[in-house]
Amino acid sequence: MLTGSKTTFKVRQMVPDVKDRMLSHSSLHSRGREMFGLCCLPGECVLQRAVLVRKKLSAKEGGGWLSGTLFCTHFRVAFVPQDSPKPDDNADPVLLGDHDVALASIEKVVAVGPSRTKLVTANSSLKFTPEELVLYCRDLRVICFLFDRLTPETQAVEITYTIAKTYQPLKPGTVLSFQNAALGSIEMKQFLSNRPRDPDMNWFESTVDWEQELERVGATGWRVSSVNDRFEMSTSLSRFNVVPQKVLDTELKKTFAHFNEGRLPRWCWRHPRGSDLLRMASFQNNIYHEKDDIRNLELVLFGVQQVCVVVELGEEMPSTADIQLAHTRLRTLCLGDISASVSVPDDKWLSTLEGTHWLDYIRCCLRKSGEVASLLRGGHLTVVLQEADDRDMNCVVSSLVQVMCDPHCRTVAGFQALVQKEWIMAGHRFLSRMNYNRDSDKEEAPVFLLFLDCVWQLCAQFPSRFQLSGDYLLALHDSLHVPLFSSFLANCQRERSRRSQHLAQSYTPVNGLRELPRGSPLQDPCCDPPLPPVWDWALQYSGQRRGRFTQPVTQPASPPPLLNGNLNTNLDPHRHVDGMAGSVFLLSKGSFSSPSNLLPWRSSAGSAYRKSHRRAPSAEMLPALERLLRACSLTESGPDPHEPLLPLLLGPCIKVWRDCYLRGALHAQAFTHPMPSSMLHPVDQLSLEVQQLREKLAQASSTSSSSCSSSSSSPTSSRTSSNPRIKQDARRTDSNLNQNANNGTFLFPNSRSSNQPPAAPRGNTQTAASVKPTSRPPTSIANPPQTRPSGRDGTKHTFLFGGHQPDNRPGQQRYIPAPHTKPPRSRSSSSSGGSSGIHGNNVQ
Amino acid sequence: MLSLGSSGGKQPAKPSFVSYVTPEEINPEKETSKKERLPALLPGEVVFCSANPVLKFTQDELSQRGVFGTLVCTNFRVSFISDEAQTEDTTQHFKNKLYGENDIPLMCVDHIYGGYDDKKKLITGPQLKNKYPSKIIIHCKDLRVFQYCLTFTDEKDARKIFQGIVHHCLESKSLKCVFAFSYSANNAEMQRKWRTVMFDATEDWAQEMKRTKGNCRLVTENYAFELFPRLPQYFIVPAAVTDEDFQTAKKFNGKGLPIWCWSHHSGCALFKTATVPLMQEDTVSQNYVERMLTAVAQNHLYSVKTEDLGDTLPSLQEVQLAYSKFKQFFLIDNSTDFWVSDVKWFSSLENTGWLDIIRQCLQKALEVVECLEKENTNVLIMDEEGSDLCCVVSSLVQLMLDPYYRTLMGFQSLVQKEWVAAGHNFQDRCNHLHHKDKEHLQSPVFLLFLECVWQLLQQHSPAFQFSETYLTVLSDSLHVPVFSTFLFNSAQQRLGMLLTAESPQQQPWTQRGPLSCPTVWDWSVQFDCRSQEFFINPVYSEKLRVDKAAKKSHRPKHTRQLSLPAFKTPPKKGFFKEETDSLKKMLRAKRLSRWMLSPDASPQAASREFYEAWQRRPLDYHGVLLPQLDGPAVRVWMQRYLRWIPEVQIFGGGAVALTSRLSELQVEVQELVRRLERHGGHGHGGGGGGGVYYRDGPPPPYPGASTPSPTLLQMPSQSHLLRSSVRLSSSFPFISVRNWSFKPAIPTSMGPQGLSFTDPDNIASKEDEYSETISLV
Repeated sequence: MLTGSKTTFKVRQMVPDVKDRMLSHSSLHSRGREMFGLCCLPGECVLQRAVLVRKKLSAKEGGGWLSGTLFCTHFRVAFVPQDSPKPDDNADPVLLGDHDVALASIEKVVAVGPSRTKLVTANSSLKFTPEELVLYCRDLRVICFLFDRLTPETQAVEITYTIAKTYQPLKPGTVLSFQNAALGSIEMKQFLSNRPRDPDMNWFESTVDWEQELERVGATGWRVSSVNDRFEMSTSLSRFNVVPQKVLDTELKKTFAHFNEGRLPRWCWRHPRGSDLLRMASFQNNIYHEKDDIRNLELVLFGVQQVCVVVELGEEMPSTADIQLAHTRLRTLCLGDISASVSVPDDKWLSTLEGTHWLDYIRCCLRKSGEVASLLRGGHLTVVLQEADDRDMNCVVSSLVQVMCDPHCRTVAGFQALVQKEWIMAGHRFLSRMNYNRDSDKEEAPVFLLFLDCVWQLCAQFPSRFQLSGDYLLALHDSLHVPLFSSFLANCQRERSRRSQHLAQSYTPVNGLRELPRGSPLQDPCCDPPLPPVWDWALQYSGQRRGRFTQPVTQPASPPPLLNGNLNTNLDPHRHVDGMAGSVFLLSKGSFSSPSNLLPWRSSAGSAYRKSHRRAPSAEMLPALERLLRACSLTESGPDPHEPLLPLLLGPCIKVWRDCYLRGALHAQAFTHPMPSSMLHPVDQLSLEVQQLREKLAQASSTSSSSCSSSSSSPTSSRTSSNPRIKQDARRTDSNLNQNANNGTFLFPNSRSSNQPPAAPRGNTQTAASVKPTSRPPTSIANPPQTRPSGRDGTKHTFLFGGHQPDNRPGQQRYIPAPHTKPPRSRSSSSSGGSSGIHGNNVQ
Repeated sequence: MLSLGSSGGKQPAKPSFVSYVTPEEINPEKETSKKERLPALLPGEVVFCSANPVLKFTQDELSQRGVFGTLVCTNFRVSFISDEAQTEDTTQHFKNKLYGENDIPLMCVDHIYGGYDDKKKLITGPQLKNKYPSKIIIHCKDLRVFQYCLTFTDEKDARKIFQGIVHHCLESKSLKCVFAFSYSANNAEMQRKWRTVMFDATEDWAQEMKRTKGNCRLVTENYAFELFPRLPQYFIVPAAVTDEDFQTAKKFNGKGLPIWCWSHHSGCALFKTATVPLMQEDTVSQNYVERMLTAVAQNHLYSVKTEDLGDTLPSLQEVQLAYSKFKQFFLIDNSTDFWVSDVKWFSSLENTGWLDIIRQCLQKALEVVECLEKENTNVLIMDEEGSDLCCVVSSLVQLMLDPYYRTLMGFQSLVQKEWVAAGHNFQDRCNHLHHKDKEHLQSPVFLLFLECVWQLLQQHSPAFQFSETYLTVLSDSLHVPVFSTFLFNSAQQRLGMLLTAESPQQQPWTQRGPLSCPTVWDWSVQFDCRSQEFFINPVYSEKLRVDKAAKKSHRPKHTRQLSLPAFKTPPKKGFFKEETDSLKKMLRAKRLSRWMLSPDASPQAASREFYEAWQRRPLDYHGVLLPQLDGPAVRVWMQRYLRWIPEVQIFGGGAVALTSRLSELQVEVQELVRRLERHGGHGHGGGGGGGVYYRDGPPPPYPGASTPSPTLLQMPSQSHLLRSSVRLSSSFPFISVRNWSFKPAIPTSMGPQGLSFTDPDNIASKEDEYSETISLV
């Protein structure tokens, strides 16, 4: 492992100055990829190294100790396991390996000696040889390295010093140098600029993206306005915003001023039952509302509906300061006070947890989102989320509502699009809230982390409804603490694009590729490095770990039906909200009211308004709305995929995100059972096996049935396709059994159910059921299993679309997957991340 | 779930589902059409009294709606038979054959409250001074809550049923009246094959000692309970205990005799005993105690550690108090209560101290494990009776150390050995007979043990063959008066009662008499095969077969014991060394006291160290298993405590989701394997990392890892049941579908519409509605 380089290394070790060493290295290895077995980024150099180090593995990683070599570069602390495969020279550079920590996410460095522990800072000196090196990270990880007796003492001491000196806590300006360290080299810049974007997800950067979203959810009456293209109307809003079709851009321009920061009501999402979700900032009260403006204001606010409910998020939701305080307390509880090593006694743990109020805030967000989701479910409402600046809790609630209601948002691609839409483009102040530069302590608040925790709660309660996994949420959580990603390094789109324009070349958002001219050597090395989006997971996570982002074997989300509110026909009549046109209600504390000053122009404009416009909201509508809320909260979130996932909010149901908060805690490390790494959870193991078997099967069949010309059916169908009638029977029983599997759930990987058009006998029941929910169809779930046997043979994995193409529904024709869109081959190979095919179809 | 009596109701009764019933609304024609229906009685079951119509409230927000039916009190249960036509509940996978959803075994009744208008009053006896309550609220020991309204009942009937229920549930009665006796007298056919070791014969004990390689003396002299009535028929003591010692021990009622529990493979063993009351200046007892200690010490050379659990663990009264506080949070009359308690959920749970008691027990067990595993000393634990907390700790220790006890049969044997045969005072601790003067003896010790096991199960799920559901059911069975297992105070009482009940004229203790009461381990009495599948933990990683065979030939290797003492244990013969003398001195100097630890380390810190050492080793689910005891680790047994509370049922969530996913995947794996095989030869050839779970797959290269376990392979039989798991709630086996009816948006006239919400057909139509949606896709 160490040949000649060892001596040179030792010599360099004598050089006291870090900077000198850095320079010498970078000059020597500016092109070199590999140093001492560490696969370096271009331009990265190793500052210090310690051999024969063991790393304590977390339970997720299999537990136990892994021996290898510890490196400290000026960008990361890297750990290379002893028998790790030789890095491939042609492989893409990876920012962080599986065992690496970015220096910027380190919070504290603690050296553990034989009898004492010491917090090591840049200026401190060690009086003992550390036996153990513990890195406390901002993302609540605790990474523990153990020096062997055979590790040279100088190495142990030096690397501790080096890490302590280079991670540079809490100093303004470190972020930039960190970024430069990671991405500053020309090779890296080129590499990053050539990264293809994830084509599956919606980036919401162009009008096309927004239109695609409008089409996906079937929202009509809305258009994408580019009136804010140069950020003249509102600096914090995105370039493109969705507004009612009726409002012209010229009219729109006047309405900006009536809202705080110009954040006028914008469309976010449409519920399949026809309600729209909007968000806006608070009204500017000191402005005179002209008569013409009022019409536009109302148009913007009401959208395409007649009734509008304003959900004011200011009062009941925790303030950002609350969130910050709660999170700090939670950190302290979970990590313990590192320096004092005082931890909460076990028998007081629960009450201390309660005292952090973190769980209360989660509950609060989930409850409010549940209320909004129930409202939307009522149909034909405009629900407007209002918050003073529309940049914190509005993001949380609007995205949670969509996670609850829209199965698409529970896939990885959909979730990323959601974050892109409701957070990044909507102008959540990531930079200030995360306080990367340590210059906005007052504004720091982990609002996004709160949101992630809320999603995790949903995920924990309804694991079968999510395609994304806890690992994915955890990865996102951790990435938030690495200040490298453009997604999180700006407060709004304007800042973000200014930054990229600062680079001599601006990218063209239309084709979605950042096109930097190849090999522009003149680029100033001091210029900001190009920052990748966080969604480029390959930069941070190995393929193996990315595989765990999705539930191991899942069916991709069934594309949501685009019904344009047609679902509404199923509603019970008394749930209809036939409010007076133009009624506005306020939802606060779980009840509705219609205060006169809700819309400032109505109260101020007084009689003039009433004459010209609509009547005052009717009081009779209030109970109807309240009914909406309550009725929904009591129905079970049954098989209907459009039923919102309403989480249970009672004490026993809201849990601590153990995988995240407790993974680093020392007492949770006690939980890390050393186990063989191959020892997965049975579910994972089985699903892995399913994948492997499928691949093998695909192989086997492609060889064996190559003569067989079955173009559209599964590769195995050489036998079965000769007997289509049996197949049909088998599938019918299957689909009967697996009705639930169709519900946009992901737990049941039976692609058979998702890919099959409904079997013939259920056709009549569908029409019956669509007329009236109370009608009793002849087929019920009462007697499924008898007709089982033939379903057990291989036929159920085959797909025949042709025979079952429901011809009687021409209107929906385009959403029926075309026979060739999903050949089983591709399904079998991409069963984990393979939602692409479906989503691709969906937007065609 | 249906009540047992459901089969009786054939006629399609009118929709009697009434909401907001006021007395005026009962229509008389309805009453006339009613005939009283009786539940399908068990053998030996006798109906005492019944009343109709009684309104059973559903557990709803305002408790305003309910079902009419007949309330029946028999000598086994309080049963409610709904007047409604029972709808076929197809999703019912888990059904108790003895008592249904609406039945409460008499022993299971915890408290009865009378409801007067708004007030709730605890009922203590059948005779009431003032008027009879209009509502009976029954809190069950399995945490169900029933509310019956007697307003519509004939006043005479109402009084009769009220008195009957209160009398039979709360009044003290003699053991003979317990239903088990009349049940067994009338139920001739019994299964007699138990794979569970019952520890009621010498062979069982000898076998157990052989299995653990213990080297102690099996005492058979007590087979007729002449020496020690409190002790089991057969028991094992250290080899050094002589017959003379028995005579001395007799004076102390058998207290102080160290009873062997289990031997560690290193040779040291765990003993338990009852504390001998030590008088001042009482040389007899002091000598006796010392002799016993020496005897224990001689079992495995020179060292013994004693621990008086009475000093270090909470007393039985504290346990009882904590539990009764704790369970209040789950016994809710209506959901409003629950919302109220929710505000301070965590701190109120913590304040009851129940979780902390669990933690302390586990901690103590951990310390004992450390002594056995690391220091290889004998351990003698004692408490006042020798059969309460001793049992908890000793069984936990065995569970942690011995993988055999983590199998279903092993666990049952463990309970049989440490609790049933060893004479835990089940009768008094549960106060089965409602003796007022024994109320202070009541204490949920066995439940405490199950709680601790649950914590272990939670933390190391793959190590246990049985599931959480099994534990829950076992804790319920404690209060089903059909089984002999949990009914008695001692082995003597059990044998005596069962034999005299059977044939009074026979001489009592001949051989093991024909037990005619079923034991609780005979699960087929309660559940059919399908339901019993839920007892198996789907993620149990079974030991490799090969390993098992190998294990028989040689004991487990000492590879994991990194921290063995430097000196090896000398051969057995060589005791009486210097160490023994020093031990004697120590014993003399210090009475039975705390652990003899080095003075500088507190036991907590020491066990912490031990724990961390254990943690560093690779986890072996078939080796030593230690619990984690930190704040977040000790949790509430959700399934047991929350299963009846609709508000916390998560649909499509909880453990069911996992189970069903697992079975789903298994089906798929088998399917794929079969298809691969059909393709000929490719099935095994290219086997890379796959093939872990199917039978012919290559065994995993590491020992003790999960394997093609037969349980996993038999799981698919459940799978088709679980297909519908999206609708299954987190408290699945107990409540499969949310059993509270849809709460109408407007709680006014509901009539047929309201009924339709509970109707399964409606669910079906809903599903079709759904499938329609998909078909449009």
